[in-house]
Amino acid sequence: MIGRRVLTAASALALAVSLTGCYEDPDVTVYDPGVYKGKEDPLLAKLEDPEFRAELDERFDGQRDR
Amino acid sequence: MARMKFLCDADRCIECNGCVTACKNANEVPWGVNRRRVVTLNDGLPGEKSISVACMHCTDAPCAAVCPTDCFYTTTDGIVLHDKDLCIGCGYCFYACPFGAPQFPTTEAFGVRGKMDKCTFCAGGPDEPNTASEFEKYGANRIAQGKLPACAEMCATKALLAGDGDLVADIYRQRTMTRDSRPQTWGWSKAYGAGA
Repeated sequence: MIGRRVLTAASALALAVSLTGCYEDPDVTVYDPGVYKGKEDPLLAKLEDPEFRAELDERFDGQRDR
Repeated sequence: MARMKFLCDADRCIECNGCVTACKNANEVPWGVNRRRVVTLNDGLPGEKSISVACMHCTDAPCAAVCPTDCFYTTTDGIVLHDKDLCIGCGYCFYACPFGAPQFPTTEAFGVRGKMDKCTFCAGGPDEPNTASEFEKYGANRIAQGKLPACAEMCATKALLAGDGDLVADIYRQRTMTRDSRPQTWGWSKAYGAGA
């Protein structure tokens, strides 16, 4: 009796483990030509900051010949 | 809004490869991948010219046009970046790029290509700026720190200029006027259009 239960439990476990490999994520990315669907870059928002922009411009302007 | 560009002054470049070393060091670029390299024309002959070449962050980037997963995006400043989580390493961008900028690490068996790697203008990628994950995938994000790309910052002769196109063009124009030479804006018409 106990042997049958253990066998059943082991079979169920083996079945569950073997079926794990068959899982497919339903959330697929459907690509549209020319449309970026990745993560939003946080740098884009930072570049809108006028203070940061002024700091960056000053640094770039330092490339001038002295 | 600025449009970030690179310009290599061929009359000033002395082929020291400081830009290449700075790029490799700042971004910890793996072996076999060169985001930037120095090309010398007529090497050893009188009048030889050297040009430092990397991604030119094209206005209408051909790499982005051919990418089957559309992993490229352009910042408001015109920096062409890509998302390595979307890249499948197909190599189409490599064939499309006129500057040979996209690089592919071959770390796996049988020469299997990894995800594409290229110059990011030291602006990282779509991950949170200056985090370990961003650095591992894209290298340093110096722009988020308010700095120039490492290659331009380290250039000893200031041959390599980086920044807003108007600023870079102005600096270069002043130089050519001072030394009474003809402008040689190598790669600009291809990257930014005939009017650039």
